Amino acid sequence: MTPEELQSLNASKIVDARGTACPGPLLEAKKAIGTINSGDTMEVLSADEGTKVDIPKWCTKQGHEYLGTLNESGYYRIFLKKK
Amino acid sequence: MEPKKLCLALYTGSVDKLTAAGIILSGAAANDMQVDIYVLLQAARAFRKDIGDDANKLNMAENPDLKKEFLESLKNLNVKTWVEFFREAKAITNVKIHVCGLAGKVWGGEKLDDFIDLADDICGIGAYIQSAEEADINLFI
Repeated sequence: MTPEELQSLNASKIVDARGTACPGPLLEAKKAIGTINSGDTMEVLSADEGTKVDIPKWCTKQGHEYLGTLNESGYYRIFLKKK
Repeated sequence: MEPKKLCLALYTGSVDKLTAAGIILSGAAANDMQVDIYVLLQAARAFRKDIGDDANKLNMAENPDLKKEFLESLKNLNVKTWVEFFREAKAITNVKIHVCGLAGKVWGGEKLDDFIDLADDICGIGAYIQSAEEADINLFI
C-alpha cells in the first residue's frame, strides 16, 4: 500500500510495543494476531529498528499480508492483514 | 502442515547465553515451531529451583567483568529474564523441556520437582538424539 493509504488505514487492532526491545514487538504481534479475525488489519508500533525487518518476514512465513511501514519520529508503524 | 521442529541442546548455565537462548526461543514461538530443549550439564544448575533467574547466582560466559553493566542494560531495555522468555514461549507454542538425568544429579537434582516448573521431564541422551534427528533446526548453546 502507498504511504497515503497506510496513513488513512484504521486498523482493527493497534499493538503498541514501543516499550520493548527485540523480540518483544514480534511476540506482542504474535499474541495480538490471535485476537483478530481473518482479513482484519493490525498495526504494530515499535521503536526497535529490527522490527521493521522482522514483521514482514514473519508475515511471509505465517501467510499474513504485509501492507507496509510508516516511519514516524522515533518509531515505526507496521501494518499487516491477517490471513 | 506439520510444524517445523527446533531442537536445542542447552548446555550453558551462564546468564548471557541463557538470555540468548530465550530470545531465539521467542522467535521459534512467534513462528509456531515445535521445540524440544534438552537441559545438559551446566544448564541443569540454572534450572534448579534455588537458582533460576537469580542473576547473582549465575555467571557470564563472556566478558564476565561486565556482568553488572550487561544486566542493567537489559533491564533498562525492558528485556525479560531468561526464565520469563522460556515461560512466555511455552505459553505460545509447544515447548517441551527435558532435563538430562545425569546433569540433574551433578547438581543435586534427582526428581522433576527439584527443578523450576518449566521442566517437563527427566530424560536420557537417547531422547535427545532422536529429537535432533527429526528436527529442522538444531542448536547447541
